[in-house]
Amino acid sequence: MSWLATFDNLGVNLRNLFRPMNTEPLPWDAVRPRAERYRASFALVHNEHGEEACIGCKMCEKICPSGIITVVPGGRQESPATGKKRGTCKDFILDLNACIICELCVQVCPEDAILMLRVQEPPAYQREDLVLTMEKLYENEKLDALSWGTGTKLIEMQAPAPPPPKPAPKPAPETKDGDA
Amino acid sequence: MSLHATPHPKDTVKWTTVGGVRVPVHLLIPNLPDPFMDIEDYEPDADLMVLNMGPQHPSTHGVLRVKLVLDGEVCVKVTPYLGYLHRGVEKLCEKLSYVQITPIVDKNDYVSPMMNELAINMAFEKLIGAEVPRRARYIRTICAEIQRLGSHLLWLGTFGLDMGGAIGGGGSIFMHTFRERELLLDLFEDLTGCRFHYNTHTVGGNRHDIPAGWAAKATQVLAVISKRCIEYEDFVRGNKVFQARTVGVGIIDPVLAIDLGISGPVLRASGVDVDLRRDQPYAAYDEIAVNVATDPGGDCFSRYVVRVDEMRESIRIATELLAGVPEGPICSLKPVKLPGAVKAKHGQGVYSSIESPRGELGTFVVGNTVRRQSAIPYRCKIRSPSMHLLQLLPYICPGNNISDIIVTLGSLDPIMGEVDR
Repeated sequence: MSWLATFDNLGVNLRNLFRPMNTEPLPWDAVRPRAERYRASFALVHNEHGEEACIGCKMCEKICPSGIITVVPGGRQESPATGKKRGTCKDFILDLNACIICELCVQVCPEDAILMLRVQEPPAYQREDLVLTMEKLYENEKLDALSWGTGTKLIEMQAPAPPPPKPAPKPAPETKDGDA
Repeated sequence: MSLHATPHPKDTVKWTTVGGVRVPVHLLIPNLPDPFMDIEDYEPDADLMVLNMGPQHPSTHGVLRVKLVLDGEVCVKVTPYLGYLHRGVEKLCEKLSYVQITPIVDKNDYVSPMMNELAINMAFEKLIGAEVPRRARYIRTICAEIQRLGSHLLWLGTFGLDMGGAIGGGGSIFMHTFRERELLLDLFEDLTGCRFHYNTHTVGGNRHDIPAGWAAKATQVLAVISKRCIEYEDFVRGNKVFQARTVGVGIIDPVLAIDLGISGPVLRASGVDVDLRRDQPYAAYDEIAVNVATDPGGDCFSRYVVRVDEMRESIRIATELLAGVPEGPICSLKPVKLPGAVKAKHGQGVYSSIESPRGELGTFVVGNTVRRQSAIPYRCKIRSPSMHLLQLLPYICPGNNISDIIVTLGSLDPIMGEVDR
C-alpha cells in the first residue's frame, strides 16, 4: 500500500498551497515589528537633568567579553543642574565590528547610561563606519527605538530572593568557672 | 489503515546483551572496515581515485573536509579532516571570567546555543556549589526543549537537501521546516531579545524572566508545530524515494558506537536506550517523565524516526512545563556587576553533562585558587557530541556510493562549530 503514500504527499502540498505566505516580497511595505527586548545596536542617553548620564566608571569596559569598549573618564566636575560633584566621561568608543550583543554592558551600568537600540546600524562600506563614537551614540538616543532593558530593570528582574530572616542569636554558652 | 509502514518492525527484533548493554542482534557487524587501511593493500589492479569532499561543500554542514578513496563510484576509504573552524574557545575560556564565558560558548553549537549555555553554566554551578531556583530550572528546561525542537527541524530540512531534494522535489521540506523554526526563533526573540546567541543563562539562574503572555504564545506555537509534525510524517515517512535513499544506508553497530563515545539520537537509533534527561536528570527533568525514543534499525531511516519522535516528545514536555511554571526568583546569586562576581573556592575539576540535540554535551571545569585569578577557570574542556559522530565515518561509509555518504553524513547531524570549537 505504500503507493498510497504518494497521495499523502500530494495532500500536504495542496494544504500548503492555500496557507498564507510567510515571506514578504522584497520592496517591503511594512517593516517587521521588533520584539520589545530586541537588541541590535547601542545608544548613550541623557539623564533626567538633561546632562550626559555616563559618569565614566569603566564598569562596561571591564565586563565586556570582547573588550571593545573604551572609556576615557573626564574627572569629577560640578553638575550645573544639581550642584553636586559627579563623574564625567570624556570619550566613549564602542567597536561594533567585534560586538557579540551580550547585553552585559547594559546590565552593569549603574547610571542606566548605555542602552540597546532595537534598530540595526545601517550597513557600512568601511570598518571605521561601524566604530560608534560618543557623538554617534548620543545621536542614536534620538532614534526613538530604545530597547526595553536598562541596567536597573535587568538587575531587578534577576534579583535573588531576599535572604531568610536571621535566627535569633543564641544565648551565650555559660562558661564553667573551672575552665577559666 | 497505516500508510506509514515502518521498515523496522520492533516486535521481530532479537536482542542480546554485550557488555551490559542491550543491543539488537542484527546490527552487530562482524568485520568492520579498517579506517587506517593502506590503500596499497586494496586490490593492486584497481583504478582508485582520491576525491576531496569539502571543505567548501554545502552537504558538509560547515567546513568539513572528507577525503574519499573511490573505486568507481564505490567508496573504499574515508578520512575526515577537522579543524577548519577552530576558534580557540577553550583557550579563550582560560582568559575570561565565569560570567563572561556564557556569550562566548554560545557560538560553539550554533544551531542550539541554548544548550551550550546550559551545559557550561551547569558545570560552573557545580564548581561553586550554587543552587538554581525552581522557576529558573523550569525556564531552562522549556528553553532547552524548544531549542531541541528547532534544532531537529533544521536537521530535517537540511536532510531533505542532502538527499538532493529527494523529498517533495527540490527544497520543499526545507521550506516547511524553516517556516516552523521561524516561529520558535520569534519565541526566543520575545524572551531574550535575540534570535541566536542569547546570553540568557548565567551562573545561578537565568537573566531573562518570562514576559507577560509568553507562555500562552509558546503553547500556541507548539500546538501548531505539533500539527505540522503530522504533515512531515505524511510527507516523508511513507515516501518511496525517501525510503529508497535511507533504509539500510549507513548502518551503525551499537557496540562500535559505544566504543567511539557516540550518544544521543544516533545511538538511540541503533537500539541503545540511553538518554541523560531520564538517566541523570538535570534542570527540571526530575519533575517530568521523559519517554525515550529508540529504534532498532540502525540506519538513516531510524535516525529520522528517532528525531521525529523526539520532536513530539519535546513539544509534550515543553507544553506540560509551560502550564505549571512556578513563581519565584530566577537567579540565586546577586546579578552580575563585575567580572569577578563569581569565584571558585577550590581547584578541583567537575564534570557535568546534558543531553543536547546531538548527544551528550559535557563540560569539565577546573577552578583556579590563585589569588586574583579565582574568577577565571584554570581549564575548561568541552566534550562535544559532534566530534565523536564524525569519527564514525571511516567505519560506516566504505562500501557505499558517494551519494549515500552524503546522506549518511547528513543523518549524523554534525555541527562543525561544535566539532572544532
